[in-house]
Amino acid sequence: MFEARQLSLSLSGFDLLQGINLQVEPGEVTAILGPNGAGKTSLLRLLTGETPPSTGEVIFNGITLDQWQPKRRAKILSVLPQGSPLNFPFTAREVVMMGRIPHATGLVKDTEIVDAALSVVGGSYLEKRFYTQMSGGEKQRVQLARALAQIWEPDGSGDRFLVLDEPTSAFDLAHQQLTLEIVKSFARQGVGVLMVLHDLNLAAGCADQLVMLHCGKIAAQGSPEFVLTTTMIKEVFSVDASIGVHPKTGSPLVIV
Amino acid sequence: MRRHSPSKFILIASSALVVALLLGLMSGAVNVHPSKLLGLFSFSNTDLDSRILHTIRLPRVLLAALAGACLGSCGAVMQGLFRNPLADPSLIGVSSGASVGASCVIFFGGAGLVGSGIGLPVIAIGAFIGGLLATSVVYRLSTSMTGTSVSTMLLAGIAITALAGAATSLFSFFADNEMLRRISLWQMGNLDGADWPRVTTLAVVVVPLIFLLPREGQALNAILLGESEARHLGIAVERLKRRLILLTALGVGVAVSVSGVVAFVGLIIPHLVRLLIGPDHRYLIPGSAILGAVLLLLADTAARTLMSPAELPTGVITALLGAPFFVALLLQQRQKLVV
Repeated sequence: MFEARQLSLSLSGFDLLQGINLQVEPGEVTAILGPNGAGKTSLLRLLTGETPPSTGEVIFNGITLDQWQPKRRAKILSVLPQGSPLNFPFTAREVVMMGRIPHATGLVKDTEIVDAALSVVGGSYLEKRFYTQMSGGEKQRVQLARALAQIWEPDGSGDRFLVLDEPTSAFDLAHQQLTLEIVKSFARQGVGVLMVLHDLNLAAGCADQLVMLHCGKIAAQGSPEFVLTTTMIKEVFSVDASIGVHPKTGSPLVIV
Repeated sequence: MRRHSPSKFILIASSALVVALLLGLMSGAVNVHPSKLLGLFSFSNTDLDSRILHTIRLPRVLLAALAGACLGSCGAVMQGLFRNPLADPSLIGVSSGASVGASCVIFFGGAGLVGSGIGLPVIAIGAFIGGLLATSVVYRLSTSMTGTSVSTMLLAGIAITALAGAATSLFSFFADNEMLRRISLWQMGNLDGADWPRVTTLAVVVVPLIFLLPREGQALNAILLGESEARHLGIAVERLKRRLILLTALGVGVAVSVSGVVAFVGLIIPHLVRLLIGPDHRYLIPGSAILGAVLLLLADTAARTLMSPAELPTGVITALLGAPFFVALLLQQRQKLVV
């Protein structure tokens, strides 16, 4: 389990995050929502050990995050930040193969996993193309495949977790849907998924738990039906919205 | 852009290295007949050709090959570390920093030190410290969480080179004739002082380096994805960066202390190798070492033979090749420079 206890973060006198308590269960999808500047990315950075919290602690599979040996942790925790600065002409296959760096499973096994990961994100055709010559959406798919390849199979070190920062930002409609399907299928295999999303309806359609951040605090946390209410959206986004019901899935539908 | 297999490339480059070595041994102010090359393996031969080979040619070609291999592989590592193909030891001020370190040692150590047996290692240590300071400063200035600022990196290089120039002028002002000649030699980049002590000093550092650096290849690949990304792949990024800055400063420092500032080898070679076999550092680093040795051998042979019996400084030849190459790369990267 992935757990944040009383996390807070202050940078040069500003309180970016305050009193965050959060649990991400293996096998569930948790989505972090909130307006720009609410602290979503900062929260991900605290949870993944990129930034140390000012107070509080992060418990990952039973022990505090920084007590994990980096290589061992990387076998079960895969993190996909927003936009990689990669500007060298690696092929898609080589980029995805880097997801296997923490593992020592051998080239044959790794090649199988890389093929499978590329095909899952619909990127098999990119295999030999150069990363530097791809479109934004194609790059994002290759990076997603890399993050998936990193935790493709269960590992003895503990439950697997996948952390994604706005994984669908450069995607068209079809690839947004595809990403959510992938995330759900990983959750069904027992992977705990935590992601930042901007689109409320996408989040409602795939997450078991929503976390609404507002000005560095958790404004609401729980099932999509509980979090996505007209009053909450008015309070957090200052927007008058109506809440409907998705005709097929039955999840809440935010109409602006 | 078609890629070639790394193993095939390394095989071909190695054969080229052998050819370049033989060519370097045979040609010069006095051309040595190929049949005499066998004489290298017997010390009983005392004719002129054999003595030329033993005391002049062999140390010279070994020095060129080792320095080229060192600059090529250090260039490849630095470009990975800075996540930018323009990071070359001579362009970002590392070589200049190293030459200031070397000049300091020569100046304060005096001519006696230079002539004595411990002189060269001490100069090498001075160059290493100078190079290390320069790399650390440039790295701190130009890289941040979000990546490397190319303009800051190159500007920092200009600043350090200017500072190095000022320091050298200051030393020259106070130096006597012999010291002046020594110091200006370091600035030019020349292999004409080649002798066995220099070859040994260089080999002691470069040979282990050539085996150590490729082992960091996989981690360097991950660094190219971004520092956070590398950290999430289980790589101890801070430790890796410190280790690589130390190793490259050591390599460049010792290369500068025996051969002066030979510019652009670290820029041209990794770029060519990347074009041929791709950016994977596990092959890029050894490939750059071999091709770097070939380039510097050929450049040095040209420097010795073009105006024979006079010699051009080797650094002049590499700069003549490298400067247009650099401009072409700049044009290619122009959009990215406006940051």
